[in-house]
Amino acid sequence: MSKRQEATGVGRRNFLKAATLAGAAATVATPLKAVAQGQAPAPKKTKAPQGVSALQKAAETQNLPAGAANLVERTSGSDYMVDAYKSLGIEYIAAMPGSSFRGLQESFINYGKNTQPEWLTCLHEEISVAMAQGYAKVEGKPILNLVHATVGLQHASMAVYNAYCDRVPILMITANIADATMRRPGVETDHTVQDGPVIVRDYTKWDDSPASLQHFGESTIRSYQIAMTPPMGPVILVADSALQEDPIPEDAKLDLPKLPRFAAAQGDSGAVAEVAKMLVDAENPVLMADRGVPGPNGVMSHLVELAELLQCSVLDIGGRMNFPNQHPLNQSARRGGVLSQADVVVGLDMVDYWGTIHGYRDQLHRTSRPILKPGTKTVSISSFDQFIHSNYQNFQRFADVNFEVSGDGAATLPSLIEAVKKLVTADKKSAYEGRGKKLAAARQQAYEHAKVEAASGWDIQPISTARLAMEVWNQIKNDDFSLAVSTQPTGFWAHHLWKMDKPHHYLGDSGAYGVGYGGGGAVGSALGNRKHGRLTVAMIGDGDLMVSPSCLWTAAKHKIPILMVVHNNRFYFQEVMHLQAMASRHMRDPRTAHIGTEIAHPNIDFAKMAQSYGVHAEGPVTDPAKLGAVLQRAVEVVKRGEPALVDVVSQGR
Amino acid sequence: MRKRIFVVALTGALAALAVAARAQDNATAGNAKAGEQVYRAIGCWECHGTQGQGGAITGPRLADTKLPYEAFLQQLRVPQNAMPPYEVKILSNADAANIYAFLKSLSPAPSPKDIPLLSN
Repeated sequence: MSKRQEATGVGRRNFLKAATLAGAAATVATPLKAVAQGQAPAPKKTKAPQGVSALQKAAETQNLPAGAANLVERTSGSDYMVDAYKSLGIEYIAAMPGSSFRGLQESFINYGKNTQPEWLTCLHEEISVAMAQGYAKVEGKPILNLVHATVGLQHASMAVYNAYCDRVPILMITANIADATMRRPGVETDHTVQDGPVIVRDYTKWDDSPASLQHFGESTIRSYQIAMTPPMGPVILVADSALQEDPIPEDAKLDLPKLPRFAAAQGDSGAVAEVAKMLVDAENPVLMADRGVPGPNGVMSHLVELAELLQCSVLDIGGRMNFPNQHPLNQSARRGGVLSQADVVVGLDMVDYWGTIHGYRDQLHRTSRPILKPGTKTVSISSFDQFIHSNYQNFQRFADVNFEVSGDGAATLPSLIEAVKKLVTADKKSAYEGRGKKLAAARQQAYEHAKVEAASGWDIQPISTARLAMEVWNQIKNDDFSLAVSTQPTGFWAHHLWKMDKPHHYLGDSGAYGVGYGGGGAVGSALGNRKHGRLTVAMIGDGDLMVSPSCLWTAAKHKIPILMVVHNNRFYFQEVMHLQAMASRHMRDPRTAHIGTEIAHPNIDFAKMAQSYGVHAEGPVTDPAKLGAVLQRAVEVVKRGEPALVDVVSQGR
Repeated sequence: MRKRIFVVALTGALAALAVAARAQDNATAGNAKAGEQVYRAIGCWECHGTQGQGGAITGPRLADTKLPYEAFLQQLRVPQNAMPPYEVKILSNADAANIYAFLKSLSPAPSPKDIPLLSN
């Protein structure tokens, strides 16, 4: 008899036979006390509860194995697992149910009282992980995802890749039944695997398959620490079914390690001093920032201080809200011109440094050209090279910078600021002020130009993306808002024309451009924003939302307030442009580019779809003059604490 | 040698002028209504908007274009940057002229000063 059978008195193969006895036996179950953090739970006896003797006798007559009548247990490994996760202060679990973690799910809900973490029902694992990513971009820390063994993780995998490329902490548990003799035949065996995490190992920071409860507890703390250490990323643990469902062994001496405080690595002090000197001596220094730690502890406040010290250009590459978009030193709208004049460029947490400082022409013969003038010194401050995988190419083309400083951007900036302060003389300060005034004037000019461009096509149908963005802005500008998904599909108008000066005002894109992030990610961000009373808004593409529309149901069920505006151009728009370009290249008919890219005929009625999920919705809105009123009604619903959707038939970009 | 180069260059310039003149003739003959249909059918709207209003990241405004026809045609045939090339085989000179006529027929952009959401 296996260890598991010895412990429980019944193997899984006998579940169906034993199930007939379960109803009677369940009446004698008693609740357990929580295992306090850092304390070993008291060893629990696994004797059959009183009143079972008759059942034992019945079992013997059915030729069941000895102990098979033990149908209940006073302790469960999954309770200890719940204690481990409770010690991390996690607020939510986003999950689709899966029988492989049934023990753990029951423990979270009953033993853990479904609080801290609270269970949120999702209808697809891709959505649950996207929600975790969106939440982490607000709060800077993870929630928990449970994903069904094999199939659930397969569903989740694209979202995991998004989070990996986005440098966002994701905490996942999947399950398994390592012992082949303990698997129910059929489906349960289909849902077991030698090495479950292997399918996401190329884009997770760490995984483990613990062999004991103590091992699981230690790996829980370790996984959290790894996920939260920059560069942040996804981690996954396997909760073996036997560990979940079997009683805690009598001789177990379980302990939970403490969660340590941890600090991110910062750049070497000598290197920081060198970079400071380069910046202080430069004529046209440029600071760039992309995808540092998410949440409130990002680079923004430090970057503002450094830029104002130097009165230099800042380019927000857009992975996060790195720099106030209307700040006079924000030159993001003039990226090419600013870089072409730079003599020192310092990039913080840059995913694609090379791509930022080069122009690229996507024609039959692909060509590139450097944007920087010869002799420009380039510096990268990033922790990304401290953790890197070989297979998936998210590390991008080799940056070829002059000085690579290994350290997290946000962690390094304070010492860089102090080093710069020591070097700035009165003369330099005076020169910097002149530079800052020129930059402020250039930025204002770019802003006025953006307004001119936005006016173009203001009243047309389908509604222009500029009109869409500004009608939304008009409804939220007086609230503490949070724009949850990328502004790229809507033409970056929010970045050009809104006023965004807090880290949560813009939460960036999916990371890997895996279509389907938008819905779940936005709902997750709204979840993170909810307790802060923020108004979360997402302008999400029709194609993106249709990958994971059931996120709307989750938002409705759990009262997650979000304004979801569908940028409904009725195409996979990026793809129709690519297909049209290929037809032109091949000198064939470009009139066919809609085949396989159009999401029309029939048109999707997003309002009806959302209403069927229990979400307030209006649309399709085709008249730009009517859009403001529709949005106003939707915002009122969101302010009552519920989700709302507005379907806007819009231009492509 | 210098003289020969000059002659070649002059011949080229005259030829270019002739092409431009023919192109201008074609432009004059363009039909805006037909041009709108072609503009939509062959995908110009994808980057430049259904009314030629332009896209913030995809393509510039073309409505009420001030671009001379010959420069417009040159960009169609041998585009700068990432714009797809439109060879004669997939877009005739007549259709190019029709598109140009359509773009010229469109109204100038309003001023942001006249739009409350942009002027406030």
